[in-house]
Amino acid sequence: MSQSRLDDLFDYTEERCLWQFFSRTWDREENIEGVLGQVARLLTGQEPLRGTPQERLFYADALAMANDVRERFPWASQINHEEIHFLIDGLKSRLVDTVITRSTNRELNHHLY
Amino acid sequence: MPMVLLECDKDIPERQKHIYLKAPNEDTREFLPIANAATIPGTLSERGCAFCGAKLVIGGVLKDTIQMIHGPLGCAYDTWHTKRYPTDNGHFNMKYVWSTDMKESHVVFGGEKRLEQSMHEAFDEMPDIKRMIVYTTCPTALIGDDIKAVAKKVMKERPDVDVFTVECPGFSGVSQSKGHHVLNIGWINEKVETMEKEITSEYTMNFIGDFNIQGDTQLLQTYWDRLGIQVVAHFTGNGTYDDLRCMHQAQLNVVNCARSSGYIANELKKRYGIPRLDIDSWGFSYMAEGIRKICAFFGIEEKGEALIAEEYAKWKPKLDWYKERLQGKKMAIWTGGPRLWHWTKSVEDDLGIQVVAMSSKFGHEEDFEKVIARGKEGTYYIDDGNELEFFEIIDLVKPDVIFTGPRVGELVKKLHIPYVNGHGYHNGPYMGFEGFVNLARDTYNAVHNPLRHLAAVDIRDSSQTTPVIVRGAA
Repeated sequence: MSQSRLDDLFDYTEERCLWQFFSRTWDREENIEGVLGQVARLLTGQEPLRGTPQERLFYADALAMANDVRERFPWASQINHEEIHFLIDGLKSRLVDTVITRSTNRELNHHLY
Repeated sequence: MPMVLLECDKDIPERQKHIYLKAPNEDTREFLPIANAATIPGTLSERGCAFCGAKLVIGGVLKDTIQMIHGPLGCAYDTWHTKRYPTDNGHFNMKYVWSTDMKESHVVFGGEKRLEQSMHEAFDEMPDIKRMIVYTTCPTALIGDDIKAVAKKVMKERPDVDVFTVECPGFSGVSQSKGHHVLNIGWINEKVETMEKEITSEYTMNFIGDFNIQGDTQLLQTYWDRLGIQVVAHFTGNGTYDDLRCMHQAQLNVVNCARSSGYIANELKKRYGIPRLDIDSWGFSYMAEGIRKICAFFGIEEKGEALIAEEYAKWKPKLDWYKERLQGKKMAIWTGGPRLWHWTKSVEDDLGIQVVAMSSKFGHEEDFEKVIARGKEGTYYIDDGNELEFFEIIDLVKPDVIFTGPRVGELVKKLHIPYVNGHGYHNGPYMGFEGFVNLARDTYNAVHNPLRHLAAVDIRDSSQTTPVIVRGAA
């Protein structure tokens, strides 16, 4: 069950989320961690972080994703906080593997933009 | 499904690394076309040159800037008027073209004096214009003309003018993409933070990678005005030279064309801590999402929802009329790079169209990661496609309409396949809610255009009958 839910989240992210495809490895790592951290907070009823401009941006991206997840996947409102964290952690790992670790994009680690 | 070696490429098998047919249970970890690589000898590339990427795509859009092209006349003419980016000051950028008109003697004896003379002449002829971009081209780069030194001399003699130089000859990169990069990085290094403008709103942003194609920027600007957001600089649609010097003053960088302009957004984030938000400005669903994100950043979500509701009420019924009639049509997108991933899901979701083949002239591997993530299985993804490949792909996927440029468009018209100008548009703007209805209208008119059927009829053949085409009216 968790695997199919993780597939749902991954497929959604692939389709909608440009932040995973920023120019360099460090940008992608920062966005995956930052946006999905805020998504987990929103889906578990915690207050999102909005102290800095970058946190406000992560919140903006996360809010769109959290709303879409609730709307598209009925299971999202039926699972507990523990499973939400489990799924978000799984999604982070899968995105890191796909768009960073095993990406064959030859520009990802260039030190300049 | 591995990478594809087309029949026409059997003598240049290296092309296999550039063409991918997406199959189930595959992703870009296994198959990612090689991109932003040198064109393979033997292939007739559709690419432009690096100079073109700087001048035609970015610099030439500005509405208050002389674009001095230091080279032969053709470099100026071929990067003028081929894109339609109007301005709200009478289309200054589209009315005039400037060139130093280098001839053989200037190449032999050096062209710096001629450049200096041309710069003075241009400023004298246009006394209201005080800003200029000077571009080097292949011959003037090869002979080593120092355009920066000339620009400094002219600025010293004319204290009221400001000149930016772009040293990006056509041969300096594998495609237009190099020119985007050179202009982006040059501008952030030399011009950003050299001016301050008045800030009139508590919400400020730069809109990066909009080029006001047939009014895209001006249409979206009505949204930002209604939301009370001040756009410090448009990079570069309907933009001014001096606004771009103030980009450091914005709170947020909103990026549409990440390929041509992502570099400056990255640098603005690195140097000034201004976050970068990438959005899609084409398509109802994407445009609404972009507005929601911008409004969430500024904490004005209610205003955003009101604007989206108003726009949906006005335009969604018109979009749906076209969607009903375009459902299931097959589209190919053969453009520069980003429009592949901007459009593939938006035409699918908003118009029911299936995108069956996409080719990019200057996209990087990042663009293919995006488009393969978004695009459908059974669709071809092509880097730096050539004409023979286009013919073969057409036979394989049989598109009903092709979004591409006029040159390839003329080619496919011979096959009686309609094309819509995917670069300069047919009748834009195409961005925003109203814009996407325009795109739907042009697609509908192309697919159902009776002329293309008539064009296939030879009246000398009595066995042929004139087709009867029935179209609905919107």
